[in-house]
Amino acid sequence: MLSPKRSEALAGYLFILPTFIGFAIFILYPLVESLRISFYEYSILGDSYYVELDNYSRLVNDIRLRKTYSNTIVFTGFAVFFNAGIGLLLAVFLNRRMPILMRNFYRSAFFFPILIAHTYIAVIWQYLYQQDTGVINYYLAFLGIDPIPWLSHPAWAMAAIIIMDVWKNTGFAMLVFLAGLQSIPHEYYEAAQLDGANERQLFSRITIPLLSPSIFFILVIFMIGALQVFDTIIVLTDGGPGDATRSVVMYIYQQAFQRLDFGYAAAISWTLFLVIMAVTLVQFLVSRRWVHYE
Amino acid sequence: MIAQTKAPFSARRQLMRQSRKPLKWQDVLSYAVLTLAALLVLMPLLWMFSTSLRPLADSYKLPPQWLPTDWRWENYLAPFESNVPFELFFLNSLKIAALTTLGQLITCSMAGYAFARLRFPGRDVLFMLLLASLMVPGQVTIIPIYLMMAELKLVNTHASLILPGLISIFGVFLMRQFFKQMPQELFDAARVDGAGHLRSFLQIALPLAGPGLATLGIITFNATWNGYFAALIFLTSWEKMTLPQGIALLTGYMNSGNPSVVMAAVGLAILPVLIVFLVAQRWIIEALTRSGLKG
Repeated sequence: MLSPKRSEALAGYLFILPTFIGFAIFILYPLVESLRISFYEYSILGDSYYVELDNYSRLVNDIRLRKTYSNTIVFTGFAVFFNAGIGLLLAVFLNRRMPILMRNFYRSAFFFPILIAHTYIAVIWQYLYQQDTGVINYYLAFLGIDPIPWLSHPAWAMAAIIIMDVWKNTGFAMLVFLAGLQSIPHEYYEAAQLDGANERQLFSRITIPLLSPSIFFILVIFMIGALQVFDTIIVLTDGGPGDATRSVVMYIYQQAFQRLDFGYAAAISWTLFLVIMAVTLVQFLVSRRWVHYE
Repeated sequence: MIAQTKAPFSARRQLMRQSRKPLKWQDVLSYAVLTLAALLVLMPLLWMFSTSLRPLADSYKLPPQWLPTDWRWENYLAPFESNVPFELFFLNSLKIAALTTLGQLITCSMAGYAFARLRFPGRDVLFMLLLASLMVPGQVTIIPIYLMMAELKLVNTHASLILPGLISIFGVFLMRQFFKQMPQELFDAARVDGAGHLRSFLQIALPLAGPGLATLGIITFNATWNGYFAALIFLTSWEKMTLPQGIALLTGYMNSGNPSVVMAAVGLAILPVLIVFLVAQRWIIEALTRSGLKG
């Protein structure tokens, strides 16, 4: 018979066992293995050769990789800025006094696209973005704007992707900001108003500092997500025209699963991992200066 | 009965009267911005729905008709009669999403319970290890997983998608939060009654974890239902493919598919999400806000 303490420990290990089996097989082992593969010229059928750092020196000179990184950074910058900015704007407006039914309607409308797959959204927007038959150019013509080659011009294609991404994801930022705004006690505003603060001061001195944990959270989550962008782009432009909208993950996908160059793809995936870790770390360090936790 | 319903109603009316202040220009501005934003969000979805009910000849017609002009519900049958096995895509997605969700509900609730309520050596270190692994992007692990599946001859089977999905670190974290909130007295009382750890888990913790399980279930089901990256890698033959792949097939090379039929197919694919959203909206919103997971 086991002592109560030991039987509790045994139960604990048994309860976490399924998760840790999966963790070992599908996270830990692949993580180590992908690092190992990145030092090989890996072949799925024939022999694999240890090539030391060849894959890594190759990626330094890879023009396409440079292009996909710059695309990914451009996408990340704009997508994070507009998703968070528009989300904040909508949340601030939604937090004003209004009938609860109205607020619920707006909130649901902004939120619903988050639940729909990128793939389906891209299929819909593909039609909206058509140069000659698309709805968007039809309305822009009223503003005197010539038909925009949304999906066939490099810069416009990137803009098209960013607009669609903001359309889909800004509702999530809105939701988090709204929850943050609603948790700010009213007394703070009332006290500040008694002291003669105006609306702008209330916003910059009370709202923003008290919302800073939510803002930080959204920036981190959106940045990590944007650096891994794939679904959004592949259906809408498939990385084109040329490589104009190809992201790093799309490039990894192409190298690994279309060219079967697994070693090189694994090396690229590790650079992305390091970039994501570095960006996250920097954000945490910088956050000490501007994020206020109560 | 009447008195009961009357009281809150009049109270609400009184509240509304109190809040009826003169409209300021800020109010007008905020309603204008919110309404414009809501229109911009809803219009692509409205266009999808209206187009899905039109004949092919009208699907590209300009000026755009936002409201349905025809009611060709037979367009919603067309994907099933097309040259791709649409009903199989639907069933495949359903099967993969259902099994993945079931698996995660079991593994995550077990591990979450252990991390929240049981004491064992190394518990906190192991939990930190799991949390740290949340930073590993899926693109790093997918290549060795693919090679492993190839070795096991599991490429182009649903198992290649379901097996890695049976666990979720995020899910463990979420369930742990729910189990942590439960009062310790419940478990002490059960122990006094001679209940073992398995019985405490099954008969006390799980029944109280309903909202947590529902939250995890909805998030997992939706994520799997919408998943594209892994499906694109692992599933290569039509009869194995999932719905997002199927709709990409229906759309055809350079949009050669019939837009009305494609929109009907998209509508069918979104329908389960819409139903869940309407039924469980409040829950989903609360859970997503609290957990901070992007859909």
